[in-house]
Amino acid sequence: MRRFLVWGSVALIAFLSVATGKLWATEPVWFGNVSASRVLYINSAMDLASFEPILTEFVALHPDVRVAYRDVNTLELYYQTIKEQNKPQASLVVSSAMDLHLKLVNDGYAQTYQSSLTDRLPANFKWRNQLFAFSLEPIVMLVNKKAFPGALPDDRQSLLQTIRQNEKEMTKRIGTYDIRKSGVGYLLASQDARQADVTWGRLLEAFGSHDVQTYCCTHEIIDDVASGKLVLGYNLLGSYASQRARDDDRLKMILPKDYTLMLMRVALIPKGAPNTEDAGVFLDFLLSDKAQKMMQTQGLLFPIRPDLNSQNDPYVVNAPGPTGVIELDQQLLVGRDYAKQKRFIRNWEMALEISEEE
Amino acid sequence: MWQKSLNHQSLSEEEEKNALRKAPSLRFRFILAGVLVIGIIAGLAINLIFDYSQKLADLSYDRLLRSALLQMDENVGLMRNEVSIDIPWSAFATLAQAEEDRVFYKVESIEQGFITGYQDLDSVPPKPPQLDQIQFYNQKYSGEMVRFAWIERHLTDPETAQTVRIVLGQTRLSREEMASAVTQKAVEVVVFIALVAITLIIIGSHLVLRPLHRIERALEERIMGDLTPIDINTPKETHHLKVAINHFMARLQKNLEQLENYTADAAHQLRTPLASLKALAENARDNTSADYGSPEKQREALNNIVKQCDTLSQTVTLLLNQAVVSHRLQTHRLEPIDLLEAIQASCREQAVTALHQGVRLSLDCELQDPLILGDSFSIQQMMQNLIENAVRYSGLGVEHATEVIVQLNEFDGFYRVKVIDYGSGIPDIEKERVFERFYRGRYDIAGSGVGLAMVKDIVDHHSARIQILDTEPKGTTFQVDFAKFTFGVNEA
Repeated sequence: MRRFLVWGSVALIAFLSVATGKLWATEPVWFGNVSASRVLYINSAMDLASFEPILTEFVALHPDVRVAYRDVNTLELYYQTIKEQNKPQASLVVSSAMDLHLKLVNDGYAQTYQSSLTDRLPANFKWRNQLFAFSLEPIVMLVNKKAFPGALPDDRQSLLQTIRQNEKEMTKRIGTYDIRKSGVGYLLASQDARQADVTWGRLLEAFGSHDVQTYCCTHEIIDDVASGKLVLGYNLLGSYASQRARDDDRLKMILPKDYTLMLMRVALIPKGAPNTEDAGVFLDFLLSDKAQKMMQTQGLLFPIRPDLNSQNDPYVVNAPGPTGVIELDQQLLVGRDYAKQKRFIRNWEMALEISEEE
Repeated sequence: MWQKSLNHQSLSEEEEKNALRKAPSLRFRFILAGVLVIGIIAGLAINLIFDYSQKLADLSYDRLLRSALLQMDENVGLMRNEVSIDIPWSAFATLAQAEEDRVFYKVESIEQGFITGYQDLDSVPPKPPQLDQIQFYNQKYSGEMVRFAWIERHLTDPETAQTVRIVLGQTRLSREEMASAVTQKAVEVVVFIALVAITLIIIGSHLVLRPLHRIERALEERIMGDLTPIDINTPKETHHLKVAINHFMARLQKNLEQLENYTADAAHQLRTPLASLKALAENARDNTSADYGSPEKQREALNNIVKQCDTLSQTVTLLLNQAVVSHRLQTHRLEPIDLLEAIQASCREQAVTALHQGVRLSLDCELQDPLILGDSFSIQQMMQNLIENAVRYSGLGVEHATEVIVQLNEFDGFYRVKVIDYGSGIPDIEKERVFERFYRGRYDIAGSGVGLAMVKDIVDHHSARIQILDTEPKGTTFQVDFAKFTFGVNEA
């Protein structure tokens, strides 16, 4: 009965994913010379916009490698990696759902890789030499300056206050992740609950009573904030939000003052993956000075290497309050505990008044 | 003689070197034994360390595992008659102290089945489960050896009772790392101590053997013929060696003295008969007077010379026998012999000579195999001297005694040999001196004056006892007591 429930929930999630039309079916985007002798398959839950310059640079440096880049949702990435465990399609799997990736490593789906560049990575940015972080970015709120009623919030408390004071304006105009569909969304919510349980409870209650809009992906929320359909996006990935806020006057990125979660983007090489050699080369490239500087100067991502951050740089994270770095270790397994996850999602659904069948 | 031994040394220098090379080295044996013992001890220590470091690592990391398990256990509860668990983040933060170790767990209840964790984790503790008792054990899971902590307990509330089982596992990476770090450090220490000990043994062996070298040098540096005791300070352990060497040198000294005595004896013994021989010969040559010029007189003078030659020959034989006896006494070990056989042999030899002098020699013995520890040749020599002596003294005095009796009797613990003559006897005052070398009681009888001294030597060497008694009514009795030989007693 229990077993049925576990697989049942997996099937349910799979079904939901299929329903959104994005499962396994996405065609890869190709980079590099068509006649290149080797192909590197990358499955990644990262917007191509942030990754494209890095991939282009990589194939320029390695003309004999062709990159097939497939953009996959974080949760799908997890199930796909498990599903393909006997014959993985991807040489490298990149995700922002640190917990799912760590669970993949813990459960034995990844293989070890070691190079001088991974050795240089501080111990808290990798695990077992199987999971490597290459970017550390803040989790932010994004507001539409014009549409936002009243003063812009600088932390969660002031956001709650704004919601209470402007019930009408805020109803249906807050957007956040659907934690059932997005792996990283779940991770951020569970970390919020861990960091400040009471605040999280109030926030959830306020979101529920004001018909919060749920999304699968960051860029859709950002689009809706920009268009004015939403006034605020909660728990967005800092790299995407900062890119858009830089180009769009209507948008403002806010790092919550009470605490700012810091998220790593991580990569692993599946056990038995094809062309692991080039996967390693690409991983080294991601950690190299060149790629890390590119992330910094072109505003693609927030680099992991602290030695590349300079105070003058606009893309350096300057959180106004304390930062809560989501630690890349066994604690992440707790958030993904079957019972805890089930209870957490159920509470979330109840708070947001969303039925399970939706 | 010294020269000879020097020659011997120089001749075989090459051989000696070879022999030295082949000879076992005391120092080498000492060091080898030391190294072996230390090696064995070090080996045992390292073995223990391997075992201990494993236990130590398990002990430390089991504490983390226990703490995490208890934190999980604390968060198990019943909610609407269903077991639920809310794993605290801190439980896994505890486990994260083993940085690289994978974590597996499973929570289930007997009534409700699987609750959370890894469903395919079927882990059975080695010992029969006991409620509320945490068990630790190793078991393979997910391709790796995993250390598991296991607990089972009852949950009760008024409406329901359930048995909950929590299994929490952690791979052994950190444990192995810690164990090998401990082992490495400890092995380094053990190896260091072993090396120091071996070095000390090598130095110690040198120091220990130094007194031997000192004795060796002291002996080497001596002038020829210096046989005085070694007089250098040596440690207790080499004291006995020093004493033995000194003892040996004392014996050598004694031998040398004996040799000197013997040479003096021989010279003394030969000088008198030679002088008398010379006198006789001169007489025969110089006496040309009619009186002495007659063929009869010349014949008589020649007879005297021949007689004197016989005496000289006898003396030389005696000296030779003495030399042989003293050599035998020094070189031959005493062994069980039949005393009677030796006495019989001497009597047989002497019987005819005695008869020529008008003395009848008789042996009086009824014993069977009287065994003593001795040297047969020396005993015979002793008997020969005693009998000769008795026969010689029988011819003295007013009445010519005609009988010499040899008796052999058994007593409790010893055999007594008696040589009895009925001659003129020895005055008491001389009895004490007859065994002195060159003492001759009566210069009117032929004799070397050596015979009884040799008898005394032989008696002493056999640890026997000799006494001179008077024979009734007149004459002398020599009485020698030999200890009996009994198997297993004298040998020891």
